[in-house]
Amino acid sequence: MSGISRDDVLHVARLSALEVPEAELDHLVAQMKSIVAMVEQLNEVSVEGKATPFNAGPTQAELRPDVVAPQPLAHPLAAMAPGFAGDFFAVPRHTAMEEA
Amino acid sequence: MKAAAVARDVAARLTETDSIGLNATLDWSADLLDREAARVDAMPAPMPLHAMPVALKDNIVTIEQPSTCASKILEGYVSPFNATAVERLRAAGAMMACKANMDEFAMGSSTENSAYGRVKNPIDHSRVPGGSSGGSAALVAAGVVPVALGSETGGSVRQPASFCGIVGVKPSYGRVSRYGLIAFGSSLDCISVFGNNVANAAAVLGVMSGHDPLDATTSPIPSLPLAPVDLPDLKGLVVGLPREYYPADLDPGVRAGLDRTIAAVRAQGAELREVSLPHSKYAVPTYYIVAPAEAASNLARFDGVRYGLRRLKDGDDVADMYRRTRGEGFGPEVRRRILVGTYVLSAGYYDAYYGKAQAVRALIAEDFRKVFAAGVDLLLTPTTPTPAFKAGEKADDPVSMYYADVFVCAISLAGLPAMSLPVGRSQGLPIGAQIIAPMFAEQRMLAAAQVLERVVSATEEVR
Repeated sequence: MSGISRDDVLHVARLSALEVPEAELDHLVAQMKSIVAMVEQLNEVSVEGKATPFNAGPTQAELRPDVVAPQPLAHPLAAMAPGFAGDFFAVPRHTAMEEA
Repeated sequence: MKAAAVARDVAARLTETDSIGLNATLDWSADLLDREAARVDAMPAPMPLHAMPVALKDNIVTIEQPSTCASKILEGYVSPFNATAVERLRAAGAMMACKANMDEFAMGSSTENSAYGRVKNPIDHSRVPGGSSGGSAALVAAGVVPVALGSETGGSVRQPASFCGIVGVKPSYGRVSRYGLIAFGSSLDCISVFGNNVANAAAVLGVMSGHDPLDATTSPIPSLPLAPVDLPDLKGLVVGLPREYYPADLDPGVRAGLDRTIAAVRAQGAELREVSLPHSKYAVPTYYIVAPAEAASNLARFDGVRYGLRRLKDGDDVADMYRRTRGEGFGPEVRRRILVGTYVLSAGYYDAYYGKAQAVRALIAEDFRKVFAAGVDLLLTPTTPTPAFKAGEKADDPVSMYYADVFVCAISLAGLPAMSLPVGRSQGLPIGAQIIAPMFAEQRMLAAAQVLERVVSATEEVR
């Protein structure tokens, strides 16, 4: 599987909503090939019937009361957002549905 | 001592550190330090961390300073809330001294991936301080602050602590609230502590620890005490030496430092036992599936809509804005990890990569559980396979960089507490020994570290 191709990288870049400059693409493909080849060492490990799922956190989460309360903010949203109009985040228009 | 006087001293040291070009700080100001000091001086004394200056890795948010994660995409971002860890430290009398430089979004092992330039190792400026919490480590090692907060996802405090010759403690997953720690790998992330000694690191950890209603993954068990138990020696403890962590090609200086530490452990009355953690050798590949997968999801929030950078050209629609903002806002290592994470989660590959890594993660954790269940109290290993490497040495070889974390990664995957203790120098460069404890046994680990700290010189040449 470590034959990760230029098209694979462009595909995951599209899924990641990440612009990849054309000039960097070949280098990036080479680096991703080496990373994917490294993680493929896991193919050596047999996990059949052995793995008890690992849960990093506490076995039972302590839940907060389900009460709607405004989060106290030290700075208003309008001060943080690159675009804000009225009570809304402002973004450019959406011209077309994204392909899958 | 009045906090105001401490604040002035810290400001002078920060100015000096910046002037020699360590590049360890991001935002700080003498004004903010003075305000912190006035707040502390007005508190009823004594507070447990009275007037203790603390540097904060830039992925830990505060309302008074920008929190950029050393990324262009968060340039100028000021959080509307404080991290729980910060709230607890402030309430205990600590002063927030500065934000510290780091690898962008905590992705790196050398602090060369910051959008604000590389951090230098204060012991040898041509070398890296380790990463990703390299700025915090450098500030403690340079004597600017006695303690600093870093964060660990896969060793980002223990590894730089080892490279800089200071104490670095990663608590159990769930011991310290992640509320206000900008997320990288949510099943791995832990706010962690650097200290100029074990006692100071333990005090800060004690104050921060304990359940937080704002982080459902914090453990409900009681907080840690502010000081480790003062043990006279290590009698009665069984210390395991996992053979996989002492490979034949271990750097000779690191081996000499560990030999010396092992001799001290024996001399202090502990029983030594060789043990095996057979799946630890798969920790780096497992980590480089799990962590990027979680990062790809967590970093989806940086899109130019609600905060941070927005990049837009005439005629761009919202999808163009996402791609352009993220493409220009993230640096190369972060982009690479987002792409790897998306790849291992994508249709057709999920089971082969992510599913497999989750299963191996379980085996790695199981190895540790078995060893501890067989009567081993603590494990002792090198923290890193080599001392600090030269800046630029691994910059273009991500896989070689990833293996700088070969001895620290498995512990993060297993959620265990572990720490690095300085145990000498090899050709002037610090060597760290790693102590690993069972889940939530930080007290035992810190108490043993304090015994070793008394008997093993942190600065003596080992060969």
